[in-house]
Amino acid sequence: MERVLRWARRRSPWVLHYNSGGCNGCDIELLDVLTPRWDVERLGIVKEAAPRHADILVCTGPITLKSREPLLRIYEQIPEPKWVVALGACACSGSLFGGSYHMLGGVDQLLPVARYVPGCPCRPEAIITALAELLETI
Amino acid sequence: MHTLLTLGELLLFPGLAYLVTVALLLAWVDRKALAVLQGRVGPPIYQPLADLLKLLGKEDLDTEGSDARLAALLPMISLACALTAGLMTPVGNHAVISFEGDLMVTLFLLSVPTLGLFLAGWIVPSVYNMLGGNRSLLQYFCYEVPLLLGLAGPAALARTWRLAALMSAQSAYHWHVLAMPVGFAVATLGLIGKLERVPLDTPHAKAEIGAGPLTEYSGRKLALWRLTAWVQTLVGINLMVAVYLGGADVVWPYWGFGVYAVKVVGYMGGLALVQALYARLRVDQVAEMSWRLLVPLGLLQLAVTVWMGA
Ligand code: SF4
Repeated sequence: MERVLRWARRRSPWVLHYNSGGCNGCDIELLDVLTPRWDVERLGIVKEAAPRHADILVCTGPITLKSREPLLRIYEQIPEPKWVVALGACACSGSLFGGSYHMLGGVDQLLPVARYVPGCPCRPEAIITALAELLETI
Repeated sequence: MHTLLTLGELLLFPGLAYLVTVALLLAWVDRKALAVLQGRVGPPIYQPLADLLKLLGKEDLDTEGSDARLAALLPMISLACALTAGLMTPVGNHAVISFEGDLMVTLFLLSVPTLGLFLAGWIVPSVYNMLGGNRSLLQYFCYEVPLLLGLAGPAALARTWRLAALMSAQSAYHWHVLAMPVGFAVATLGLIGKLERVPLDTPHAKAEIGAGPLTEYSGRKLALWRLTAWVQTLVGINLMVAVYLGGADVVWPYWGFGVYAVKVVGYMGGLALVQALYARLRVDQVAEMSWRLLVPLGLLQLAVTVWMGA
């Protein structure tokens, strides 16, 4: 039973995307991944619109103080088991926005992050690698 | 012996197990065809199964302020109705249950999941759910009528409401789609509206209202709703193939099944093509297209058929 479930989880990760205060660069790269050139539906990855349908929360951008609450609520709405991926230099560490007066910093200040994808903006190949690696560990 | 045989038919072929398996395969055909049309590789063949199993194994959340028992019951009722409808539509040239008027009963059973979806949206105090539920009810009012009108043409021509009789009538002369292309188009659009597929998918327009009536559902309930939608698609296509495309119009049983399977997959590919070609309509356009275009055309087709037949 466990094995069947693990098989299913590995092959059907549904992604929810949240921009907690980035510049939109990483978001475009994330959408890129769905296009014919990279086509992550091969791996069963689908972008979902509702937190309750998602397995993986992909977070772009540093966390602003304003987006802290919504991000927490979204995370809590995702049913177990769930993982968080930090996309882009901002989400990894806060990058050039870190230490700003209205910033909390990287996503790991708030949520347990399973995979970091560096780059500004991150490359689609890096995103796919990170997701594939994450699936390996499930 | 007889009871055992009937039980086998109900549970295995062409009953429950068969319906669910083929519905999953058809969902894959749909996604794969869309992917190929868009120049992508597309998901592997086990994708719908993996999705279903994963959802079954996920945490099942109840929304605060909604009726948990009703929320759990609705998808079960809907799935049961969709599967029962599946028992009445011919698979190959054989249906488990067949009687005069089974076309109407199938249509009625197919409309229960839509009403269930509306209720599922309505009982959750969330804007997305309610809006999605309302839209799915609107679509129900708009597209049930064209579908019925579209299917009534062949029934009037063959003078029967029985699916098996409709199929054999077509092997006697020709496919109904050749005689009534307008009716076929109207019924197809009605079916697309009923299944809430692109371009008539306003009830779950992602960019506007999240996932529509199912926004707040997760885990097992969501899995059942997805399965219901897939079974509904299969049954709807079965219906169209039987009524318009001649069903399994070959004498030998095995060939008949093969011909029927090719038609079902082909029709699914056609729906995927429509999905790839068109963008979503606005809510008012959805209602307008139904009442201003499809219903008059369907009525016209029906009137001409009855007049020619008389
Ligand atoms: S990492 Fe770069 S591209 Fe991505 S959100 Fe931050 S600034 Fe924008």
